[in-house]
Amino acid sequence: MKVFSGFLKELKLASRGFYFYIEIFMAVLILILFLFIVPDEFSAKGEEYVFLDMPKEAKDVYLKGLTGEDLLNQRKNVKIKIDGKDKNVDLYETEDSSLYFLESKEDIIYMADNKRKISLIIKMDEDHNLAYQYYLQGYESQKLKNLIRVLNLESAHLLQENMDSLEVRSISIDSKRLSDKENMLPSVLVFNGSLMGLFLIAAYIFLDRQEGVIKAYALTPSPVWQYLMSKIGVIVFISILSSMLVLLPVMGLKPDYLLLLVLLISTAFFSSALGLLIASFYDSLIQAFGTIYVFMIIMILPNMAYFLPSWSPTWIKIFPTYSMLQGFKSVILANGDAAYVLSVSAGFLLMGLIMFFLANLRYKKILFR
Amino acid sequence: MIKVKNLYHSYKKDDIYQVKDVNFEVEEGEIFGFLGPSGAGKTTVQNILTGLLEIHKGQAEVAGYDMKNISKDMFNKIGMSFEQSNVYSKLTALENLKFYAKLFDVETRDPKDLLKLVGLEDKANMRAGEFSKGMKHRLTFVRSMINNPIMWFLDEPTTGLDPSIAADIKNIIREKNKQGVTIFLTSHNMFIADELCHRVAFIVDGEIKLIDSPRNLKLQYGDKMIEVDYIKDGENINDSFSTILNEDKKKLKEIIDNYEIQTMHSKEASLEEIFIKVTGRGLV
Repeated sequence: MKVFSGFLKELKLASRGFYFYIEIFMAVLILILFLFIVPDEFSAKGEEYVFLDMPKEAKDVYLKGLTGEDLLNQRKNVKIKIDGKDKNVDLYETEDSSLYFLESKEDIIYMADNKRKISLIIKMDEDHNLAYQYYLQGYESQKLKNLIRVLNLESAHLLQENMDSLEVRSISIDSKRLSDKENMLPSVLVFNGSLMGLFLIAAYIFLDRQEGVIKAYALTPSPVWQYLMSKIGVIVFISILSSMLVLLPVMGLKPDYLLLLVLLISTAFFSSALGLLIASFYDSLIQAFGTIYVFMIIMILPNMAYFLPSWSPTWIKIFPTYSMLQGFKSVILANGDAAYVLSVSAGFLLMGLIMFFLANLRYKKILFR
Repeated sequence: MIKVKNLYHSYKKDDIYQVKDVNFEVEEGEIFGFLGPSGAGKTTVQNILTGLLEIHKGQAEVAGYDMKNISKDMFNKIGMSFEQSNVYSKLTALENLKFYAKLFDVETRDPKDLLKLVGLEDKANMRAGEFSKGMKHRLTFVRSMINNPIMWFLDEPTTGLDPSIAADIKNIIREKNKQGVTIFLTSHNMFIADELCHRVAFIVDGEIKLIDSPRNLKLQYGDKMIEVDYIKDGENINDSFSTILNEDKKKLKEIIDNYEIQTMHSKEASLEEIFIKVTGRGLV
C-alpha cells in the first residue's frame, strides 16, 4: 500500500516535471520520423554516368539490350545540370543503380571531375568490340576496381549463370523478416524505452536530494526500499508509455504485446536499478553525468553488431543491450520465440534485483543513517 | 524521554570529534532547549537523536528506543521540524501532508486541520514551490505534527517567520507541551528559548558547557541592571549600571544627583548575555 501510494506521488511529481515531457516529446518525435520520414526499405542506389561512344545504330542496339536484360529497367528523360547548362538525358533505373546516359565525353569528364560521380565511356571499335573506360575518384578500394575489371568480361556472365542455376532451400519455411524501418524499432525501444531510465531515475533522485525531502522520508517508519521502488515504478511506467507511443502506430497489432510488456518491465527495472546505484556515488546530477554518459555509450556499442550482423564478436554479446536488442527484435517479429524472450527477461530481472539490493544498501548508508 | 551518555561523533570517523562527551537527559513533558552558535554541534546531536546520523561512541536513548539499534516503530513516535524547509515543491500543501501521513503506521492528523493551525488553509491547493519562505517553513512545521509525536524535535522553529506567525508557532508549541509532548528545541535564538524552555543546554565546539533552567541561570549569572537615559551637556546619553557593584552604584547616584534623567529601568540579564558570560562566545 505504501509502495503504491509512493508510486502515485512519484507519478504526480514526474507529470509536473520537465524530464517526463522530454521523454514523451522524444517518443512523439521518433513516431513522426517513423511515420512520415523513415522509408520502409533503405535503398543504396548508386548513380553512374555513361557515354556511349559508338554510332547511333549500335547505341540503340546496346540500350535495347539493356532494357531487355532487366524488367525493372525503366527509361525516363530527365534534365540535369552540366557545367551550368540544363541538359536532357536518358535515365535508366535498375534495382541497384541509376544510369544516366550523357551525350559527350566532355560531359562525362565534367561529372567525374566536378560532381565526383562514377563515370564511364563505352567505346566500340571497328571490329564491334566494346571497351570500357571508367573515371573513378581515387578513393575506391582495390576490391571495387577488381570487380569493375571482371564485370564486363564474358566469364562474369558465365559466373552469373552458374549462380542462378544453384538451388537454394530455406530451412525455416515460416521465417519472417522485418522491413528496414521495423528493424530500427528494437534500437528505439532499448534507448528511448529501457536505457533512458538510467538517466531519468538519477535525475529524480537528485531532485529529491536537492529539496531535502529524503531526510523527511528518513524520519518515517517506511523503509528505504519502498522509496526506491516507487521511483523505479514510475520509470517503468514512463518506459512502457513512451515505447507504446511509438510501437502501436508503427507496428499495429503485429508484435506480441504481452511478451513486450514482460521484456520492457524487466529491462527498465534493470536500467533504473543500475541508475540508482550509479547515482548513489554522487551528490549531484552534474557530478554523476560523466559516469552515466560513459555507461550509455558502452550500452550503445551492441547496436553496431545489431545493424551489421556479419560483425558480431563474442565480447559484444556480453553487453546487456545486445540481449535487449535481440529480445525486442524477437518480440516485434512475433516469431513465437517466447522462451528466448522470457529467458532474457528473467536475466534482466535477476540482474536488476542484484543492482536494487546493492542500491538499497548504499542509500540506507548515505541518505538515511 | 531522552538519555544521552558520553556521546561522541566524528564526520570523518577519525579522532577529531565534532561532538565530544555529551551527557544530558530530557524528562517526559519537558521543553529542552539546545542552544549554541552555528557549527557548535547542535544539529549533529539532533541528527543522532533522530537516527539521521549513527553513534560513533557513547549511548543515546529516545522514547525508550536505543539509538544504536533503531526500531522503525520509533519513527511513529517522533516528529521533526527541520530548519531548512524540505517539502515537495511540485506537490500542493495538502498533497504533501496527505502523502506524508500515509508513511506512518499510526493514526495521523487531518492535513486540513494542520494547515488551518498555521494559517495555510487557503493555500491548501497551492504548490509548495509557489510558497514564500515563511509559508514553506510553516508547512514543514505542521508536517512534523502529522503522526501525533510524543517526542518532538524542533530545529529553529521560528526562523524566518514574521512576529505574529512566530507567536502562533510558539503558542502551538506550548499547547502541545501542555498535552504532554516532550520537546527538544534546537536554536541559536535565546529569546525563544527563554520564552519556551524549561531547561536549556549551552553547547559550544561540540561540548556542553552548562545545563539549567533559564530562571536559575539568570539568578546565578545575571546581575540586576539599571538602564538610564540622561542629558549631559545637552547630549542624550544611555548607560547601564550594576545594582551589585559599588562602583556602578556610586556612578548611578552621581548621575541622579547631577543630571536630568529622561528614563530609568531595571533590567534582567538576558539569556544571550549569560551565554556569552559562560561560554565566552557570541551566538553568531
